[in-house]
Amino acid sequence: MWVTFYHIFGIVVFSYSIVLMTSYVILVFMSRQAQNQQDINVPDDETIKYMMQGSPLTPAVSIIAPAFNEEVTIIDNVNSLLQIDYPDYEIIIVNDESTDRTMELLINEYKLVEVPYDIAMRVPSKPIKRVLKSTDERYSKLIVVDKAHGGRKADGSNAGINVCSNKYFVCTDVDCIIEPMALYRMMWLVINSHKPVIGVGATMLMSNGCLVEDGRVTEPMVPNMLFPMFQQLEYLRSFFIGKIGWSRINALPNISGGFGLFDTDIAVKSGGYDSMSMAEDVDIMLRMVTYMNNNGFEYQLAQVPKVCCWTEGPSNLKSLTRQRIRWARGLFEIVINHKKLFFNPSYGVIGGIMLPYIFIFEFIAPILELIGVIMLIYFTIKGGVNWNTSGIVFGMVYSFSLFMTSFVILSDNKAKAVNWKHKKISYIKLIIATIIEPFMYHPIVTYSSLVGYWRFIRNKAAVWAPIQRTGVKKK
Amino acid sequence: MDTISYIRYYLLLVVAYIKYLSSRAFTHFEDYPFETRTAVAITLFSTFFILMMQVALFFAGIRRNKKERLRNSIIYRFGKGMAWILSEDASQLVTNDEILEAFGVDKSMAGKELLKTDVEKKMFAQVFYMDYITEKSELSRIENIHRMLELFGISEFLEKEVSLGNMRRISDALHKLRAFKLPVSPWVVNKLLNSRNQHVQRLAMYTTIMSSSDSALDYFETDFFDKHCCIRDEIELAYSLQRRRKEGLKLPNLARWANVQANERTQCMFVRLMRRFNEVEYCGELRKLFQESKKKKLIEEISRTWGYLHYVECEDMLIDTLMTQPDDTKVAIMHAMTRLGTGKSMQALLDGFRNTTNPHVRYEAIRCIYNYGKDGRAMFHKLEKEATEADQKYFAFFNNPITLEKIRLDKEQAYHPSVETVFNG
Repeated sequence: MWVTFYHIFGIVVFSYSIVLMTSYVILVFMSRQAQNQQDINVPDDETIKYMMQGSPLTPAVSIIAPAFNEEVTIIDNVNSLLQIDYPDYEIIIVNDESTDRTMELLINEYKLVEVPYDIAMRVPSKPIKRVLKSTDERYSKLIVVDKAHGGRKADGSNAGINVCSNKYFVCTDVDCIIEPMALYRMMWLVINSHKPVIGVGATMLMSNGCLVEDGRVTEPMVPNMLFPMFQQLEYLRSFFIGKIGWSRINALPNISGGFGLFDTDIAVKSGGYDSMSMAEDVDIMLRMVTYMNNNGFEYQLAQVPKVCCWTEGPSNLKSLTRQRIRWARGLFEIVINHKKLFFNPSYGVIGGIMLPYIFIFEFIAPILELIGVIMLIYFTIKGGVNWNTSGIVFGMVYSFSLFMTSFVILSDNKAKAVNWKHKKISYIKLIIATIIEPFMYHPIVTYSSLVGYWRFIRNKAAVWAPIQRTGVKKK
Repeated sequence: MDTISYIRYYLLLVVAYIKYLSSRAFTHFEDYPFETRTAVAITLFSTFFILMMQVALFFAGIRRNKKERLRNSIIYRFGKGMAWILSEDASQLVTNDEILEAFGVDKSMAGKELLKTDVEKKMFAQVFYMDYITEKSELSRIENIHRMLELFGISEFLEKEVSLGNMRRISDALHKLRAFKLPVSPWVVNKLLNSRNQHVQRLAMYTTIMSSSDSALDYFETDFFDKHCCIRDEIELAYSLQRRRKEGLKLPNLARWANVQANERTQCMFVRLMRRFNEVEYCGELRKLFQESKKKKLIEEISRTWGYLHYVECEDMLIDTLMTQPDDTKVAIMHAMTRLGTGKSMQALLDGFRNTTNPHVRYEAIRCIYNYGKDGRAMFHKLEKEATEADQKYFAFFNNPITLEKIRLDKEQAYHPSVETVFNG
């Protein structure tokens, strides 16, 4: 019976791999098409700025950045946000009742005083204790919201939405380093679409290993440390193939919580962020999509192919596993909370194609891998493994992943998405990461996903803890 | 034969060898099961594509270096001239000889081809365009720039580019033509207006509008945008209208355009533009649209426009409709009443405060009363004294110096012909 099961399982897994690889090839084509389209529709940064900066019609944007115990980096990061190049924007820092000196530092540095705030609690969040603004004209864009502890980023973001006054808001992490032209790049997609754009995703990369000067990444580099290097590769693949490819058919899988732009009205009407969710970024996007579909409104989701934001990723095993466990729990939550969207073509391409794809190839994949590993161990002991065939299949997967990395490198080079300091070295590092990834990185990610699923099933309380930061190189 | 040709022949040999190896590999695995053969095929194709992409990357590197060298050479040869023509020093009309001298070109070269190849012209146009949009002085003269572009053959080159079939190059050239305000042949424009790519189509239209001074706005006499109007259209149109106003030309009847359009977004756009360009003359033409429309956003925009443009004849209509509208629209109408400031709307504003539950609307009503002349201020203080504890929060904004700055209703400024704006166009 075991042998029959082994054969059937082998056929299932093989077919699964072939379908997965075919879908990747389709995504590669879609991504290429989307980039070609953007080559025509999106001019260079200077032209975008030239068109938008002098016009009072350029839509205003609110930047919301929740902060919890960020005393080490808060001032640098707020200064970095204040340097963003855009004609009309406000910055809303939401302090989630930090227990360190975050609030004190902000008050002293920016000469903040308490002001009355807009009373409309449009989306649910923990009570806002006070809103502060600067008495110094140089910081007039800055608003600091001090709220009761919510424990989740989503709660802070909701408080920010309640205070924001602009048609669009960007949600970011306070530790993110934002490219000066990021808002122009995102808003260009908004102002150029004849359909209402409800969300714009931005390409995000790891700041680990990069040189940072005055709150700007001046020398982008692929990190030397292994875990950040793997993540850099993963981010590049996800943004250049996945997100850009899906955006071609208006089915963006998610708008990253690190830096994503949303339409405030639609976000409010959809109920804002789910304060209890571990994947608040996917959740809000799906809520907005549900709202638009249920009301029969047209909408557009867009993705910027150029890097807009740099974030520090986990650099050690502990932080990495903790982050991935959280992500896995988040994915499980999404599957449960938005189950009516999955395999439902009435929600357009997102419900009919993208979410089933996520379910089959992202949600189920770790479980299948676990079964595969158990079977391999069992049949290795029993002596029933055909090593020649296994070697050939392994070679197939390996060469295919190298093919994907080569495509990412080519796309990056063509789109000039990142101005790498040492381009050749960076690309060599990415290829090395691809070669060792299946042995070192992938098992950790799979293990973390399974632990995340298990914890979700056991209903073990989830705690959001910020990753341990090692800081970026500064000049 | 040059190096590139050698590499091409070498690559052909490599491809042939890979093909030979693949056929050998397939023959070798002929007796194996289907899965194994599929895996071998995928491995071979992946390897082949990896090799191809590496080669592409190699050539891209060579091309990039070549372009970089050319760019540096252009900057070295003509950088000073470009800086001069964009500076205040060239604020007077200059002769061709002066331009050639500034660019370090011998006068005997006048009338000859100064840049030999299209690649050189493209790079020159790119370098100059970047300087133009980032470093141009307000005092530099467009006539001098046109003359210089003519001398270097850039105008001709850009026109040639837009008549090609490659969308990317067309879009690139159109951006430059639009920025330099260079004219484009009508047949090229007609061709581009029928383009399948909407971006190129619009870019061609705005380039024409930007470079011509009359009749180009006829596009909007019909429902030109259909459902495809975006914020950028408004930005571009505002640039063009602003330019017209600077040249002392009369603006077209935007209210008529608003009436012609079927799409709410487009109608709103024209109504907003009326407001921004102080087109008081045609305000009355919006009455019918206001009365008959069930579109929330359009009603908001018309109310705002009437408020800004001080069209007092509409006040009764605003008062009648206020309490029947949704919350966002109520706010827009109350702001309009406040801007009209005739004194007739005090009761309506009070109703807005007393008969609404939405805190945002109530706050905005209080804000409007505060700004509603002397009577409004007196009413505000009366309401403040009478306010219940729950309502006190609305009045807190008015006692704080920072938020008080934002209380006045002046965030959106209307343009005025006498005011120099910051428009780049």
